[in-house]
Amino acid sequence: MTPLRKILCTESSNKQVVCHTRIVCKDVYYLNKIQELGIFTNSFLNLGKTHATTHSFHLNQYRQFGWHITCGKTIQRTDRNEQPFERSRDEMTSENFVDRYRELIEDPTFSRIVEWKANHSGSKIIGCYPVYTPVELIHAAGMLPVGILGGGNRLEIAHADSRFQSFICSIVKSTLELGLTGKLHFLDGIVFHSICDPARNLASVFQRNFPQMMVEFIHFPQNMVSPHTVKYLSAEYRRIKSAYEGLAGKAVTDEALRQSIRIYNEQRKLIRELYRIRSEKPHNLSTAECYVLNRIGTLLPVEEHIAIVKEAIAAINQRDEKPKDRIRVILEGSFCEQPPLELIEGLEAAGCYLLDDDFLQGWRWFLKDIPLDGEPIQNLARAYLDHSVFSGVKHDLREPKSKHLIDKVRETGANAVIILAAKFCEPALFDYALYRQALEREGIPHLYLEFEEKMWIFDKSRTEVETFVESMLFD
Amino acid sequence: MSFVAGIDMGAKSTKVLILDEEKRIQGRSVVKTRVDFPAVAKEAVNTALQQAGLKEKDLSYIATTGFGRYNVPFRDIQITEITSVARGAVFLFPKTRCVLDIGAQSTRAMRILGTGKVQNFRTNDKCAAGAGGFIERAAKYLEVKIEEVGDLSIQATKPQTISSVCAVLAESEIINHVSSGEKIGDILRGVHNSLASRALALIKRAGLEDEVTFVGGVARQKGMVKALEETVKTKVNVSEEPDMIGALGAALLALRRLEKIRQDREKETTTEETRAV
Repeated sequence: MTPLRKILCTESSNKQVVCHTRIVCKDVYYLNKIQELGIFTNSFLNLGKTHATTHSFHLNQYRQFGWHITCGKTIQRTDRNEQPFERSRDEMTSENFVDRYRELIEDPTFSRIVEWKANHSGSKIIGCYPVYTPVELIHAAGMLPVGILGGGNRLEIAHADSRFQSFICSIVKSTLELGLTGKLHFLDGIVFHSICDPARNLASVFQRNFPQMMVEFIHFPQNMVSPHTVKYLSAEYRRIKSAYEGLAGKAVTDEALRQSIRIYNEQRKLIRELYRIRSEKPHNLSTAECYVLNRIGTLLPVEEHIAIVKEAIAAINQRDEKPKDRIRVILEGSFCEQPPLELIEGLEAAGCYLLDDDFLQGWRWFLKDIPLDGEPIQNLARAYLDHSVFSGVKHDLREPKSKHLIDKVRETGANAVIILAAKFCEPALFDYALYRQALEREGIPHLYLEFEEKMWIFDKSRTEVETFVESMLFD
Repeated sequence: MSFVAGIDMGAKSTKVLILDEEKRIQGRSVVKTRVDFPAVAKEAVNTALQQAGLKEKDLSYIATTGFGRYNVPFRDIQITEITSVARGAVFLFPKTRCVLDIGAQSTRAMRILGTGKVQNFRTNDKCAAGAGGFIERAAKYLEVKIEEVGDLSIQATKPQTISSVCAVLAESEIINHVSSGEKIGDILRGVHNSLASRALALIKRAGLEDEVTFVGGVARQKGMVKALEETVKTKVNVSEEPDMIGALGAALLALRRLEKIRQDREKETTTEETRAV
């Protein structure tokens, strides 16, 4: 039988379990059990909601009720004797990668990276704000690129509101909040890009508030059809390269850069493979899992990530889950700000197989490998121009975005599109107007949803998606 | 003969309806929702089964709806209350294109197609002032049984104004009306009017159509129906048991799925036979 509801925990020294609770109380039976433990008050436990909080309690309290600790990280209840009914029929039977890596990607203190830095004295870390960072340049200089993608829904915004207006998206504020609360102390530098006005201003705010940090800003070309585009972007990358050479205290040779491109090509290949599996057999690989496996790539050294993904793909290929009665959806979000994992899981649980997405995780900037022959900087620039994944912040007159979306629907055989846009995200809203016109012209059902990284109640969006799915299933 | 069950697990009560293949009601039950949802669902289903003279194994398909829809482990499918209520409403009132559902905790308005398919919908914000829970609090304060609220309200001659959009503040308005000696019926009608005007805003956002079908527990209160009719200024349909519409819609959809599964199976058998030939 399947493992039951899990609570992610870390064990501290005095046999206390520090529980960064993510209790998904979809199931009253477990809710009652957890309540019986007397650890949580009623206000934390509401049906159908996921709660984020931290509590300490003694291990024995759990053991008493038939829960036990596995892997030192997870509390899992395996005693099913008291189970009054058979399990619901909607749980996957194989081990879930979301459980394994959730803590790593949701930890707002970046403890894994802090630990890495402590073990690699003298090594430098560069934070990468979304999107399209040429991580190869950072890697070739011997530094670690780390994705800084906001604070998720575990971070309370207290200081950043004084620097930005109330109509600015969450990721800008939570990223600043991370800095202002000292959680980015491990960064030697951070890089922003010309993706939107708030991101542009965030770079200046960082410069002013964190003088010890090297703040870089990459101006991406907006004109994709000019013959000078590659030349311009190459010059921009060279400027960044020399800045990083100064910070790292070593020169970046073409050979070193080629070697970095080679390693990231390998990572790209594996991520493409994950996307292929998910698109062809979404019952064997959920989007939440695919997402987590990609996102940890922005938090680990690339070599380590490659090994993890290789192992994961081998395990996923062994899976043989039964396909469910679900609609097949393309998820489009112009993502920079990231939706909470619970929301992604909720979309799937509401009855969708997500065949493709534009989360842009795991440095998934390019759909093809970057050539190794020729001048590496120029190859990086050309890859951005010709093979980068479409997003709300790239404007390419050679292929309208809406056509790209419609093609994606046709190629994957999806039945519908869900547009998941971050609140106050202008690029996403501009895109939505284009997408909506095209989808209506083509007669493709679609649903528009708004999210915020800090949201933690998902009932409303879930009901909306479920109703959308049902309107298609019971047509 | 096959039977299906629709279980509507609401915030206040759990409703079960058992239908046969001819869409005839064979059994029904209403049980107060308690914390142990699976046990409540089991109890409600057993009562309805008993009434129908059936056993658990006679149920070929079970569809759940309502906010506790995921908490019934023995379900075949869960359906949102929006989808199921729309199906139930259009089954009883085929001409309706607009449905308003006011339950204990939430209010939903939807515009639907002739098939019962939901085209557009809006739900209330997380606020008690828009749903039945508000009436319950008012009744408690006025020391009136909830069953009597509808009849008292419909007798109102001078409805009082409850203008606040917040349930807590509205309560102090009610206190003011009590202290100035207003009749209980008039105050209750004020509560109904306040709910109706909030419902109108939702209906308009979803898309107001000629014939509104009003469902959910609150629709049992005559005064509320009257208030709604006066506010939306169109025909308002109310069935005899408006709180059972969700369970009815779920059961109807269960029948649809059962039929589909059978068709698929037959198709498979035919294909296999063709292959064998």
